[in-house]
Amino acid sequence: MARPWLASTLLFGPALAWSLAAVAGLVWTGADASAWTELDRHGDPVAGSDSCRSCHPAQWQTWHRSWHRTMTQRPEPASLGPLALAVDPAPEAEAEGETGQAGVLAPFAGEQLDYGGFRATMDRGADGVPRVLVERLDDAGEAVVGAPVLDAAVALSVGSHRYQQYLAYLDRGGGEGELHRLPVAWHRAERRWIHMNGAFVEPEGEDGSLADYERHLSRWNDNCIFCHNTEAVPGLDPGSAGFRSELGELGIACEACHGPAQAHIDRHRGNPLRRLLASSERGTDGSIANPATLGPARESEICGRCHGQRIARDIAAVMREGDGFVAGDELASISRPIFADSTIAGVEGLDRGRPFAARFWPDGTPRLSAYEYQGLLLSPCWSEGEGLGCGHCHDMHGDAPDGQLRAGRTGQGACVDCHRADELGGAEQLGGHGGHGEAVDCLGCHMPRISYGLLEGMITHRISSPDPAAWIGRGDQPDACTQCHVDRSREWAARSMSALGLRGSPIVARPHADEAAASRVVLDLLGGDPIQRNLAAHALARPGATASLDARAAWIADGLEDEYPSVRWFAWRGLRSLAERMAPNARRAALLAALERFDYLGPIDERVEVVTRIRALVGPAPLTDDPELRERLLSERQALAIWIGE
Amino acid sequence: MSPERHIRASIALVALFLAAGLWLEAMYGLRAEGWLDDPLRREFLRLGHAHGGLLGILNLALAWALERLQTPAGWARKIRVAALVGAALVGLGFMLGGLIHGPTDPGLPVLAVPAGAMLLLSSLAATALVKPDDAL
Repeated sequence: MARPWLASTLLFGPALAWSLAAVAGLVWTGADASAWTELDRHGDPVAGSDSCRSCHPAQWQTWHRSWHRTMTQRPEPASLGPLALAVDPAPEAEAEGETGQAGVLAPFAGEQLDYGGFRATMDRGADGVPRVLVERLDDAGEAVVGAPVLDAAVALSVGSHRYQQYLAYLDRGGGEGELHRLPVAWHRAERRWIHMNGAFVEPEGEDGSLADYERHLSRWNDNCIFCHNTEAVPGLDPGSAGFRSELGELGIACEACHGPAQAHIDRHRGNPLRRLLASSERGTDGSIANPATLGPARESEICGRCHGQRIARDIAAVMREGDGFVAGDELASISRPIFADSTIAGVEGLDRGRPFAARFWPDGTPRLSAYEYQGLLLSPCWSEGEGLGCGHCHDMHGDAPDGQLRAGRTGQGACVDCHRADELGGAEQLGGHGGHGEAVDCLGCHMPRISYGLLEGMITHRISSPDPAAWIGRGDQPDACTQCHVDRSREWAARSMSALGLRGSPIVARPHADEAAASRVVLDLLGGDPIQRNLAAHALARPGATASLDARAAWIADGLEDEYPSVRWFAWRGLRSLAERMAPNARRAALLAALERFDYLGPIDERVEVVTRIRALVGPAPLTDDPELRERLLSERQALAIWIGE
Repeated sequence: MSPERHIRASIALVALFLAAGLWLEAMYGLRAEGWLDDPLRREFLRLGHAHGGLLGILNLALAWALERLQTPAGWARKIRVAALVGAALVGLGFMLGGLIHGPTDPGLPVLAVPAGAMLLLSSLAATALVKPDDAL
């Protein structure tokens, strides 16, 4: 019997059946509301970064290379202790730093750091866990006396880019779940231990005072936990005042910026057709937040949650349950960013009603890092969330871990997308825009380095146009012009702006009388507040700064005698940088040798000896020919201690 | 489909996917951004090039086998169509799925790949199993 249908059925039937099933599946998936609807992910568990890897390998790799990932790590074989962790990825096979141990940059091989009348010894316990032992020194500062004042096994490390801090369980009234930051940290660039008092802008403590030594032995559970981890819950029990802290994941992992991902994983792993349809339209997946499709305001709020210090609307609830923020939420619903005139409810009279004013320059520009979001909000480019967002210049999944800058958005590339070349007043031409040419890009003048953080001078994120004429007569805030023209006055900068045809205020105020004797930056170094002094020392050492290396070396050496360790650090590093650029000769060699012996955290008598030698090599201090002014500036320094609340 | 037309079409298929390989090589040489910077696209374009070319050659072998095994004309005609369409669907499904893809997965055209694979498998099975006296 002829069966003409048999061949067609056998040959074409399976493929036809598959095609019909695929089309039906696509139609069903497209019409299935549960595959597309916006999901409420508040309270969802964290799935962990490893669960993202199989579908998003490239993004996972770029995150894995980032400093975000290593913001908090657990050194093997340290115990996690009472801290609850939803996801604990396997320890890294490849170790970093000196130790060969994942999660630890410092050697912990018996190094010692003497500071403030105490000796810290960093070694390991019998179980191999890093340990910090602090003992009191005798009056001569040579031998330890009495029992250790601190003996702590490291439970977690924090940071890996600039310096690494260490945490240990110490019950100081908050129960056994309390983690505290230890008083010493490993400075990665200098490969040395530092005391945390030297990393903050504050005067030296009293020698032998344990309270001063332990100033930064701060509790982690209600402070650092938030921004250095993913989905942090402090777990404060109001009854016992103890902490039962929980984390989604150590460090800043995928879900810190995308929100809890379990619903997203369930939706897409359960139905491959849903993944295929996800290709057709970006930003339509309601099971995860993609910052790139949220728009500048919502996207920047994800960054601003940590890169913009803020005050929670309900502090007690945040201490109990965490802030509850999910990427894509309106940040204002849970907190408000701190500005110069912000107050805290209930203590409105604190610090004359402006408890945060010291963190800002007089014009309201933040002068500390971790206020980048506020800088953006204050910028004309922000435009109520319709203009510039963080993602314009930064790319969390780009190639460069440092600064995480988007390809092509460095230097003038950051600006020319919005500001057309023909609107830039000649800035795009070589030698245009005041003759700055190729030496200075847009950021040099419009985002100058007037922020301090982590022992660095950082660019401000408040984008503005320099207007030195508006600040003539004032010495309380650095301007973009004189941070590079370190041998000039503000009045010179204002007149130069006008002569070059650049926009600026008319010169109406009288110049600061002191500027006749020294440049703006030198005046800042001598008589500014501590952050001005830090930034002045930083500016004097920068490669593009004007004035000869010799002149700058003589000026910057003044900072080695500062009462603030952070100023001494900037001055020491800056002078070393200047010396390295000097022509090789015996003086340079002697200067580098002297600098090698200078320890900005060392005992004062040792420092004085080295500074005397350095001064003989670099020449007289600034304003030596005007001792009256010099003394006045030194005595008028505003002893402004700033506690960086990270 | 006649044996001659099957052979010609198979050779054309091989030529098409070899030309695609030339294109991929040129993109590599010219450092084309959409190619070098997109691992998913690279993977699926390579899969399409390799599968399309090899399955075109497989069709040539199939054409020879159908003659050699004296497969009845009714079966052979349909086997040729199924094998040729299957090879084209696999190669093009991979390539188009790589050209228009989403964040984590290839684009919808990749759904043609299983259909093409089934057509090829059926063709191979029928070629192996159908005897000269198995007339329709």
